[in-house]
Amino acid sequence: MSAKHRIFITGATGFVGRHVVADAIARGHDVVALVRPASSASALAAAEATGRLSFARGDLASRDLAEMMQGCDAVLHLAAVKGGDFFSRFSGTVIGTESVLNAARTAGVDNLVAVSTFSVYDYRQRSANSVFDESFPVISDPRGRDEYAETKLYQDELYEEFGAEDGHHMVMLRPGMIYGRDQLWHPLLGGEFGPIDLRVGAKGRPPIIYVENTAEALVLAAEALLDPARQASVDGQVINLVDDDLPTQSEYAKKVEALEDVPSSIFVPLPIMKAAASTVAAINAKVFDGRMKVPSIALPDQVDARFKPFDFRNDKSKRLLGWTPRFDLDAALRRSAGSVDLVADRLAAS
Amino acid sequence: MTPSSRGQIPDSHELGAPLRAAVIGAGAISLEHLPFLRDSDRADLVGICDLSPVSAKIAARRFDAAAGYTDVAEMLSSASPHIVHVLTPPHTHASLVDMCLDAGAHVFCEKPMLPTGAEAQTLLAKADALGLHLVENHNYRFNDEILAVRDLIDNGQLGTIAEVDVRMALQIRGEESRFADQNARNPIHDMPAGVIHDFATHFAYLMNTLSGHPVWGPVSAHWNNHGGGDLFTYDDLDALMIGDAEGNPVHGRLRFSCRTSPDLFSVTVRGSEGQATTDLFHPHLEVLGPRPGGAQLTPIVNHLVNGTKLAGAGLRNFGQKLLQHGPYHGLVRLLDQTYTALQAHEAPPVTPSEIQGAADLIDALLAPEARR
Repeated sequence: MSAKHRIFITGATGFVGRHVVADAIARGHDVVALVRPASSASALAAAEATGRLSFARGDLASRDLAEMMQGCDAVLHLAAVKGGDFFSRFSGTVIGTESVLNAARTAGVDNLVAVSTFSVYDYRQRSANSVFDESFPVISDPRGRDEYAETKLYQDELYEEFGAEDGHHMVMLRPGMIYGRDQLWHPLLGGEFGPIDLRVGAKGRPPIIYVENTAEALVLAAEALLDPARQASVDGQVINLVDDDLPTQSEYAKKVEALEDVPSSIFVPLPIMKAAASTVAAINAKVFDGRMKVPSIALPDQVDARFKPFDFRNDKSKRLLGWTPRFDLDAALRRSAGSVDLVADRLAAS
Repeated sequence: MTPSSRGQIPDSHELGAPLRAAVIGAGAISLEHLPFLRDSDRADLVGICDLSPVSAKIAARRFDAAAGYTDVAEMLSSASPHIVHVLTPPHTHASLVDMCLDAGAHVFCEKPMLPTGAEAQTLLAKADALGLHLVENHNYRFNDEILAVRDLIDNGQLGTIAEVDVRMALQIRGEESRFADQNARNPIHDMPAGVIHDFATHFAYLMNTLSGHPVWGPVSAHWNNHGGGDLFTYDDLDALMIGDAEGNPVHGRLRFSCRTSPDLFSVTVRGSEGQATTDLFHPHLEVLGPRPGGAQLTPIVNHLVNGTKLAGAGLRNFGQKLLQHGPYHGLVRLLDQTYTALQAHEAPPVTPSEIQGAADLIDALLAPEARR
């Protein structure tokens, strides 16, 4: 067990954040959770009952954010905006991160666990089924990419600037598609095309990771960053996070279908989807000068990002963090489909 | 920088040359202005300023601006713009517009430019004294549909205009609404009309321009907060106004609701010879008036013609949506006309009296006597 630390967590009541809070407390740390003033923190009731959790009521733009961070050893920054138009995402993800990092500078919190995404990788740069690890190329020009990838790339720039400053230490985690309770059906299986739901591909093994496994890896990253003996090994590193034994799209879908209702959808083989997306892109470029708004699932770079098969690896996360996914797919799905309070369960297991 | 003479832009601008343009505020509305400033031959984007360094930097990168700034004074000094777009929240406009005018730059300011007519008058007078132009964004006046209605008015097809009805339905209290977030209070809530102030300028300039700029006589305005709570000052407006009986006795109705669906922004102009209706969110144009076939057949022909046009509008709107030709398309036309005028050292298409008229009508709607 690592030494006890005080960790400031943004996005603490969110889908991932609540499990990160639980895991951090279960591993003996104190947590300061940033929770927006009008948001409910009921998901963290069991964590609050431990006496190890304190709430900082504010948002990423709060003027007193630095004050809230005082005395913390690290910031674990999870908050991001995943929906809306470009500016909503830019404001919530990029400007929000700028504000968090400025507060950390003011408060003298030198250690940052930065949460990025697989969406920043340029999936068109390598052939299908090639090895996909941290050496995979990142998108070089964010402009023209989908809003999520574009804003996360700008966020990564801010992370890297912070990490490069004197006295600062930063480790950047890139989780794959995170699934868990209420979020089992995910965009790497298919998506909406206007009023129609599509399933795209069946044999690919998408880079998925169960939410509680993600949480544990993030807390382990904070511990490594704050451990003088291990800090140098993770400082400045980018680490991808995916589970072991990744199922095919078809295997995963069948298991989820056995647990819950899933959208009724039309199956499209990946080569047909790629051909359709390329055709739409060519028409858009030649006839409409690129002005046509195309559903994201029909954008060539999105088709590759979501459905192109690769050999996803998690060796680096295991080596540097000492992490092994605690829950395999079946256990993860059982926990997701159950009704037990997973935050309380994690705390009880510690 | 000293203006060369009244009505002309600063000495540094060569007649016909592109205008050195700068932007203050890289928020959501800047995404409507910046594509024009990047793409137009009439503009040379010399700077974007925002309090957030990353916002200024990324906006400058995305829109090929010469530089990003976090300090307005530094940008005005370093970039020496001929025109500055002020795109910040309304409560910041007064001081920023003032700074830009002092720096010898024309200003294109987002609406609502200022909270009151008196404040608008002060800055419009200052601009005039300096020989500069201060323009408020009246974008919907330059939408295809409003221009079509204006043509009908100008060529007499509607006869003498007697009534103008401007109506907006918008789900400002919905979960997805940027106005309803209790965690991130939108600064527009601090304007005298609260959130409705964000739209009131549109209502006012459309009402004024389509009714022939009457001197408004009695104004009656019912401002309500039907949804309650502390966040919204008002979420509903129902207002009636009547023009000067001796001059232009036009009747106007302004209506805002967040309790009806679907969202719309409809404008109806009724005259002695006919009426025209459009919806700026879902564009179409319905015109009722005398048709070939005489009084007996006119209603039938009106329905057949308008029904056909409505079906065509449905298809056209689908294409426009795909091509991202949205309700804000009038802004590009307004900016192009403004820049064309300023390049030629002429007056822009939105005049000080039109800006003042819109601000004064909003004042009248909010005045205690209007609420009796």
